Amino acid sequence: MKALQITQYGDFKDSLAINEVSKPTIKATDVLIEVRATSINPIDKILVLGYLKDMLPIPFPSIAGYDVSGVVVEKGAEVTNFEIGDLVYSRVPGDQMGTIAEYVSVNSEAVSKKPGNISFEEAASIPLVGLTAVQSLESVGIKENDKVLIHAGSGGVGSFAIQYAKSKGAYVYTTTSTNNVAWVKALGADRVIDYKTEDYKTIVKDADIVFDTLGDIYTTDAFKTIKEGGKVVSIIGALDEETARNFGMTEYKLPEELSNGIKDKNASYKYIFMNPNGAQLSLIKNLIEDEKIKPIIDKVYPFSESIEAYTHLASGRAKGKIVIKIN
Amino acid sequence: MVTKGDSNWKQLYLLGLNNLQTTNLIVTNLEDLIKKIKSNQSLSQEAEEYLYSISKKTTFPKGITIIRQGQNVDKIYFVTEGCLRSYCVDKNGKEHTLQFAIKNWWMSDYIAIHNHEPATLTVETLKESNVIEFDAKKLNNIYTLFPEYETFQRHSLERHVVSLHKRILNQLQLTASERYNLFLEQYPKIDQYTRNYHIASYLGITQESLSRIRVETAKK
Repeated sequence: MKALQITQYGDFKDSLAINEVSKPTIKATDVLIEVRATSINPIDKILVLGYLKDMLPIPFPSIAGYDVSGVVVEKGAEVTNFEIGDLVYSRVPGDQMGTIAEYVSVNSEAVSKKPGNISFEEAASIPLVGLTAVQSLESVGIKENDKVLIHAGSGGVGSFAIQYAKSKGAYVYTTTSTNNVAWVKALGADRVIDYKTEDYKTIVKDADIVFDTLGDIYTTDAFKTIKEGGKVVSIIGALDEETARNFGMTEYKLPEELSNGIKDKNASYKYIFMNPNGAQLSLIKNLIEDEKIKPIIDKVYPFSESIEAYTHLASGRAKGKIVIKIN
Repeated sequence: MVTKGDSNWKQLYLLGLNNLQTTNLIVTNLEDLIKKIKSNQSLSQEAEEYLYSISKKTTFPKGITIIRQGQNVDKIYFVTEGCLRSYCVDKNGKEHTLQFAIKNWWMSDYIAIHNHEPATLTVETLKESNVIEFDAKKLNNIYTLFPEYETFQRHSLERHVVSLHKRILNQLQLTASERYNLFLEQYPKIDQYTRNYHIASYLGITQESLSRIRVETAKK
């Protein structure tokens, strides 16, 4: 089968190549998915560039890609929740990376039937961003009437998070650039802040929750925008101490600027590592079928132009997701 | 002829539907179904026994697939309670609903059975459903073995053709809103166990349009 392989760390053109490789075999708990579409996310980009080589080293060559939609064509002996012919989507577990290929083998626990009302391409755009947004916002107990600040509303995670927060009845502030204000507003955000002309810190003063998708100064400044007792959840800032301990970093201390923020506002701070989760994808399926959430796609590339898709992703200009159509 | 703007279109359409019912008999098992058949024609004891031998009563839980697109089909179902949905998935992965089968409706993939090819349709249960399940091949043999059954089958087929023609004509000449209202008359309370996209894809409209029609209908 054909697959996009990462052959080394570095520039996309030097490090990615479509090669002929052997079709994956399945374990007893896996399903083999004939891939129809896949999508790429910032993690795919930084993985190739080598920014994660200490934390998440990959053997070369490795097939790229985590998101997938397609058809189950084989199943392992222990798989009871899927049948051959099921149309599915998944964010595959880290050790099964390799969705930019004609076939991928995936633990069935990470797989869900795909929503019936959207295409394979739309379905492939959902898993990683959907699970990230849902797990982040649920970890801080998002509920009706909460005021939530979601950074980068036009990004993959941001555009999903806005819709998810609205489906929970929250009031949503979001930041984006001038060109994206109108369509981000159309996603349902209550107050869209154009960061080119407005300072979000003067507008948001009483957020119950800040969802930090940007890191650096945005994580620290989140504490300036939350109310007393508010919650900050980040997918890119510093690890929180509990998460660090779970990773065996017993001596880890939260950076001072964050612990000061927590103290000043009697606040909480959580770092979220997204976990692949088929059951949660099934809940997302229902939200999509009820049109509470719509997939947002910037561009669909053919398989042969996968490297161009990475270049587009790296430009940081995508509105929503970049999808690669495999078959 | 039912035309848009004809004040009688609805009555005419519903008359077509009523013709689908040969009797008002409520069918909960094969015995009732045989009574229904015998209300219009005679059926030999042997034919009755044959029907028993090729069928069984089955209850399917909600949300399971009983016929799967691309696979072989060897069963025909008569629904006595519940609701089945048949749909086709297009090459992009989107579902298009062909039929809902509620009480007293037959359901299968007749394209697959007639042409001896893999299923074009998927059939799923939208709620717990009681069905009488027939072996499709053996049900087909009944015409050779017991020619009297052919009359019942011809009537069933005619009614089925009426229903399909109505559905095509509605699609061609009625507004989305008229189609939705007819749908609700045909399948009362069906929205209690269907998703919006099931109905939207049956009517051939977007989910946004369906939501708009519902709001407009509620205002009236």
